[in-house]
Amino acid sequence: MRLAALLLLACALPAQAQFRLPSLDVNRLVDTVKNVGKAVKDIEEPEEITIGRDVASRLLGAAPLVPDPALQRYVNHVGRWLAAQTERAHLPWQFGVLDHGNLNAFAVPGGTIFITRGLLEKMRSEAELAGVLGHEIVHVLRKHHLKAIQKGAQTALAGEGLSTALRDRAGPARDKLIAFGTEMYSRGLDKSDELEADRLGIVIAARAGYDAYGLPTVLQTLQAMNAQDSALALMFKTHPAPGERLDAIGEKMQPVLDAHSSQAQLAERFVRQIRK
Amino acid sequence: MRPLSLLLLVPLAALAEPATIIRSTDLKQAPATDAATLATLAENTAVEALERKSGWTRVRAVEGEGWVRMLSLRFGATTAPKAGASGLPQVFNVARTGTSGTQVTTGVRGLDAEQLAAAQPNAAELAKLEKFSADEEAAKRFASQGKLNARSVEYPK
Repeated sequence: MRLAALLLLACALPAQAQFRLPSLDVNRLVDTVKNVGKAVKDIEEPEEITIGRDVASRLLGAAPLVPDPALQRYVNHVGRWLAAQTERAHLPWQFGVLDHGNLNAFAVPGGTIFITRGLLEKMRSEAELAGVLGHEIVHVLRKHHLKAIQKGAQTALAGEGLSTALRDRAGPARDKLIAFGTEMYSRGLDKSDELEADRLGIVIAARAGYDAYGLPTVLQTLQAMNAQDSALALMFKTHPAPGERLDAIGEKMQPVLDAHSSQAQLAERFVRQIRK
Repeated sequence: MRPLSLLLLVPLAALAEPATIIRSTDLKQAPATDAATLATLAENTAVEALERKSGWTRVRAVEGEGWVRMLSLRFGATTAPKAGASGLPQVFNVARTGTSGTQVTTGVRGLDAEQLAAAQPNAAELAKLEKFSADEEAAKRFASQGKLNARSVEYPK
């Protein structure tokens, strides 16, 4: 017994000495990983919301709201009803129609969604609007943009910490972070994020009682348009091609689409609001 | 009874857009899976899209007129390259021309890449955005006006 224990100790000691340096490095590595993990977790919901407000303000600097309060309220009603069907219903959701002819939509962290006048004009029903807003809502639910901002913050801030940018809303680090967050809408997300937003967005529209084919219908409208149309340039640069998105939807979503295809389209209510 | 929905169908009907069947699919007499099958359209069959109803599109083919599942259809003629292949390089060119060709002006408006990069905050518009937002109670009233009923649907795995 004692001999065995001594032998074990004898084996263990040199081993420990031998691995002391590497084990220290491993600890440091673990700390670094922990810090990275902490940095990601550090953006709590209130901070997500203030980042979103600052980014939204910049996007509104790029294109203002369509000066039509009734239209803005209509889109807010559709959007809020959709958001109420989700796991982040409590966020301060707000929806805006940007006065721009390009076809696009933007999801901002914390619950702000923009859609352009150009895209709205291509739609024919409230179910189509619900499909697009559902897609954008998923980006907020799954924090797609927030995660991309966090991932890029280190390079964007060039040494100044993310925590400084989060703490000091008037400082230069904050300015850099928000400029980076706004610019991100011209670079786009990972393709997997976009395809996830398509799948879950269809589900959210179906939950809210809409014809689940709303989003696929908009994608088919986009697919039928001339891809060289400059009004589509940014959206096509930042998203997978509509045909590819329709393929992915067909592969995974046919049962959901079939089960919820006879739900409300509300084409009349939509047309009344859009073409006053 | 619903004059507006008829009007909505007119543009597509008048256009008769060229489209292609992307996978072998049944041509149905009516927009429903249990409707009579008129023919089976092979992959790459050229058709004309006439109107759309939820997940179905009415098409005119050599085999006759009927309804196919909208997801089995892509717009554009068979001979033309697919939108993704032909469109994207051009789209990127448009974006690139914009970046190199125009001078970046601070506070310039627009939703192109360089305009987004130069965008300045607009507090007045942000205040309007907040003013127009709806609370959940208002959204529920709006939903019931449209006879929208919430139901439980699982996220796909």
